[in-house]
Amino acid sequence: MAEISEAPEASKDEHGSPVKNISDNFDPNTMRKSKPGLKRLILSLSVLFSFLLGLPLLLKSIEIYRAPLPFREINALSNAIESSPLVFPCHFRAVFVGFDQNEWNADKLRVSILGQMKKFMGDDLVCGTCGNNYTVSVAYFGNGLNLDDKLKDYDVDEHLESVLGSGEINGGKVYTVVVVKRDQEVKAVVGKRRHGWIVGRVSELDAVEKIAEIFVKVFMNGGKEEGLIPGEFMPVGADGKVVLSFNLLNADPNDWIYDWDFQKIDEILLAPIIKALEPVANISVESQVLYHTPKSSFSYWDDELKSYILSTKDLPFFVNSNEWHLDTSIAAGGRSKVLQVVVYLPSAKECPLLLQLPNGEISMTNGFISPMWGGVIVWNPPGCSRDTENIHPLGHKISHQDLEKIFEVFMGQLRQLFGLKSNNLYVGTSGTFVLLASERGFTEWELDVLSRQHTCFNLRSCTTTLGSLSRLVQSLPRMIIMDEIGKQVKFSLEAANLAQSNASLGIYDASAVSSRLARSLAEDAFFHPSILSVSYYSFEHCFAVYSPFFLPVSLHVILAAVREWRRFKQERKKYVAWQTKSGR
Amino acid sequence: MALPRWTIFLLLFLLCFVSKSVEEREEHEEQEEFSEELLLRPLPDRKVLAHFHFQSRVPPTETYGRHHHLFPKAIYQLVHKFRIREMELSFTQGRWSYERWGGYDPISSNNAKPPGVELWAAFDVPEHQVDASWKNLSHALSGLFCSSINFLESSTAYSAPDGGFRSSTGNMRYGTLPREAVCTENLTPWLKLLPCRDKAGLSALMDRPSIYRGYYHSQRLHLTSTEFDSTGLKTGIVLEQTLTVVLKPNAPGNNMGYSSGSILQPSWSLSSLFGKKVGGKCLLANSSSVYLQLEGALFSELNNIQKENERYNNDDLALKGSWSSPGFELSVSPDRMIKELNSLHEDGPSVLYEFLMENYSDSKLFELGFTWKFPVVWSCPRAPLHSSRFLMGSGNERGAIALSLISTKQSEAFQIADINGERCSLQVDVFQVVPWYVKVYYHTLQVFVDEQPQSVPDVIKKMHVSPSEDKVSPGVMEVVLNLPCGVKSAALTIEFDKGFLHIDEYPPDANQGFDIPSAVVSFPEFQASLNFLEDASSNRSPLLSKLKERSPVLSYTEILLVPLTTPDFSMPYNVITITCTVFALYFGSLLNVLRRRVGEEERLSKIKAAKKNGRLPLLLSKLSAKLRGRPWEPPQSSSSSSSSSSSSLISYKLLIKIVLVAGVAAGWQYYFG
Repeated sequence: MAEISEAPEASKDEHGSPVKNISDNFDPNTMRKSKPGLKRLILSLSVLFSFLLGLPLLLKSIEIYRAPLPFREINALSNAIESSPLVFPCHFRAVFVGFDQNEWNADKLRVSILGQMKKFMGDDLVCGTCGNNYTVSVAYFGNGLNLDDKLKDYDVDEHLESVLGSGEINGGKVYTVVVVKRDQEVKAVVGKRRHGWIVGRVSELDAVEKIAEIFVKVFMNGGKEEGLIPGEFMPVGADGKVVLSFNLLNADPNDWIYDWDFQKIDEILLAPIIKALEPVANISVESQVLYHTPKSSFSYWDDELKSYILSTKDLPFFVNSNEWHLDTSIAAGGRSKVLQVVVYLPSAKECPLLLQLPNGEISMTNGFISPMWGGVIVWNPPGCSRDTENIHPLGHKISHQDLEKIFEVFMGQLRQLFGLKSNNLYVGTSGTFVLLASERGFTEWELDVLSRQHTCFNLRSCTTTLGSLSRLVQSLPRMIIMDEIGKQVKFSLEAANLAQSNASLGIYDASAVSSRLARSLAEDAFFHPSILSVSYYSFEHCFAVYSPFFLPVSLHVILAAVREWRRFKQERKKYVAWQTKSGR
Repeated sequence: MALPRWTIFLLLFLLCFVSKSVEEREEHEEQEEFSEELLLRPLPDRKVLAHFHFQSRVPPTETYGRHHHLFPKAIYQLVHKFRIREMELSFTQGRWSYERWGGYDPISSNNAKPPGVELWAAFDVPEHQVDASWKNLSHALSGLFCSSINFLESSTAYSAPDGGFRSSTGNMRYGTLPREAVCTENLTPWLKLLPCRDKAGLSALMDRPSIYRGYYHSQRLHLTSTEFDSTGLKTGIVLEQTLTVVLKPNAPGNNMGYSSGSILQPSWSLSSLFGKKVGGKCLLANSSSVYLQLEGALFSELNNIQKENERYNNDDLALKGSWSSPGFELSVSPDRMIKELNSLHEDGPSVLYEFLMENYSDSKLFELGFTWKFPVVWSCPRAPLHSSRFLMGSGNERGAIALSLISTKQSEAFQIADINGERCSLQVDVFQVVPWYVKVYYHTLQVFVDEQPQSVPDVIKKMHVSPSEDKVSPGVMEVVLNLPCGVKSAALTIEFDKGFLHIDEYPPDANQGFDIPSAVVSFPEFQASLNFLEDASSNRSPLLSKLKERSPVLSYTEILLVPLTTPDFSMPYNVITITCTVFALYFGSLLNVLRRRVGEEERLSKIKAAKKNGRLPLLLSKLSAKLRGRPWEPPQSSSSSSSSSSSSLISYKLLIKIVLVAGVAAGWQYYFG
């Protein structure tokens, strides 16, 4: 610029007259003769551009590691689960024995059973049922099935098992109902495998209705009643584990101290149940005996019943969380579910202690459950109503008969906690059905129901967890995501897909197991310690560290570039003006 | 005739068989055991030591199964999950006074612990898994006892002793947290491990305000398990829980002057000490008893006084219903008196009075009262050397740790004990853990015996050092000293440099200083044990067998507080800001210089000089031009302003300066005055 500005004066000095000629029409404020220089413009622009070029390098250097998460797959999975509930294929078979084939042929019966089933099912598709993905087949048997009326129910069950097979074909389980026409009272029984039978004077029409109800309400929905625990409250921990913690509470050891032989319960009674529930949950058992554990609600003496009465409205205060130290288990992992089973021995001051139902009756089981927490069973020691002075506090043991009774109540409670019926009668619209109990606590068809429900619940929970994780990760762009999380998410998705494909093939157990894995991996990823670690550092922090340098420097650089550009434009205009004036 | 003989024979045979089978069954049916005991001991400095001892034992899982009736579930699961062979956890408040409360008895060497938390554990896992087990264990214990034991997880916080600490055998880890505060939230979970908690039995005495008001409070949990031993005698898991408190009885005003000039020791009772009484035993305990221990020195002193008094005062002053003994009176008569056998001390045997809690109930409360009859002065048996540790040097750069061992006068006995060797010597083991930021130079170790410097190999028999690694592991020093018998004093000094921590490694209260954990000084040649004769008929008391166990005399030194240089914690930001400002200034001025047009500026200044404008309006117009981004044009109509004289300009400037300074001063006064 300097040389340009000085130019007019210099020219004035050197060649006086030629300049004078033009000086009339040369205004130094609006014109110039030489071309404006580019040196300073190029310099400031190059500084600006080098800064801009350096910016990506800086961003790269302060970048934090984020493992790539399969957001699209997560979305696809959650869309798939939400749009179409998981539906398992089911196969139903009705076998008619001793019926006349002429009146109703098999196909007609099939259609009418299907029609009835639709009626029972209603419109909404519940996740974990068979939905509309079921088939019904009807067969006539002459008198081949030798169902003697002298046979006991359990023997009938075994007989059917041997005749009809275990009820498994490739592509799902087969549930069978056998209808036997015979001259006796109508009796409908559901066995402990996958069979049911109706014996008695039944017409085809009645039979069809009963068959449809057994299929839909019992085999498909597990014979649940309305108002029981819904499927969302599955008492299974996020890692697919359940710890059954048995506690024997001696409310006041000064009155009596009872002990139990839990070793036997564990080995003889609990082991088959744990084995049976294996696909649904990984169950471990522990026990302890606690002392000085009074309840925290009040009971009152009832003269008629000669006992202390505890009404149901006091139940919320029964569990005394101050004195009952039913600790969480060290052996169990962090996300296992601990189900407390409390056997409460009242003290002499409140013995016998009975639970009164809202309708005024005395509870048969003398126990109650609290969903997702566990159950309480009150056991009154024998002879507690007698003179307590004579009882020596030490050295009592709960007898085997009593233990078995307690265990029966516990089984009912466990079934309820898992959302099944605790008694063995199902009252439907078309009559009552007897449900045979299994020595393993859960019948095969019940386990099928549980597997289906758990698969569904686990997959749902897995997708919501993964969805939350992906939302969280996307909303916090400056959070470190370890490779391990990415791996866990990947494996979780794989397991979920495997569970889905197994479910559509009707392999209940395998799908339950892999859905459990999917859920636990998803939870592991979500609760990974590194997600909550300190290394998360916010954008504000980054800004605070870098702004003292970049703010002033960028101000300088940008201002310089802008001003040089402006000046260059202005000077060029001057030059152009001079050029036009001079007529060149 | 033959028939009866046969029957007798048969009967005998049967009897034999039956008795044999009964024996077998007894052997087979091992039961869980729980016992509670309390030891009370008057201390020479007018205080009382109360030592609660609870022991739970469970037979091994192989024979007994994994379901328990008394043994705490949490501890059983802990042992099995982390495969613990032995573990000890202690929470302590206050410092055990080895001089006044004794240093040569089982309680002081087993139950006197350093302040804060001390944890050591030996695992039965392969070597490479020990650290992982330790870390998980520290977290589990932290949750179990509501304390910050999880800070022991960091590898800078624990060390692996190699024989210097409790003659450890591999796979052992040791860590302390000297600054951990101990309070009821740690006691409650500890009590939860007892079957009766504090609802019944001796633990009902644990009134929180009373026991935390004491001079010393140490709550300890020790467990040994043979669950994972493949060979040897299987005893199962033994959980020993002790609470040791030193309380001062509230002395009623019976300061009767005695001829000797000493003051009568304050009398006390259980309710005055604890504010509570015991109503019988915990029903689940196999044995429940209270012991009153009189130390050998005290007992012989009392006997001497009694002999003197008997000469001229023969009538017994015992009150009705109480039990009198030479020198003191008990409100409850003891069930048994046990004398110590073959005492090692020259003071004479110490005595235990046993009170069985079975004989008491809620209607008949146990209220032990102890009344002194004469003023007595005695002293507790002390360890051969009294150890204390201190810091030397000043400043924030370097210093030295000194460990001084001073002979206690009374322990001449040990000289005779060890005289059989040619050169009589006294062995002292020192175990010292130093955090990494105290960088100890082990070559500077100096030893002084009787204030004379000694060459290190003469005195130190064995030395095992694992130097600290910055931010990875603490330094561990295990030294075995061999001092001559007649030693009066000995000292060890070692120099160190103070390290620098990273800014985020400082604790919240960095200016308080950093703790160096207690050193452990033990005398392996001296075994502290109190051997009380027990009659075989009564069930063996775990407390007495614990006292009988021979354990080396052990003492902990003081915790040292090292002040480190603490930085100004806003420093990183200040540094960032100042560097950035400098850089920004540099960049700005460089750019300005590069863009400068000297010729044009000169020309402009010439014009300016010609016009001779007032400077302020010129500056203002320049500024506004700059702000608007237009090249500055000299004001056209400024010829009139040139009338302002230069003198007025100067005064104007001066005025502004004065106002500025005054403003700054006022602001300073306002904000910082």
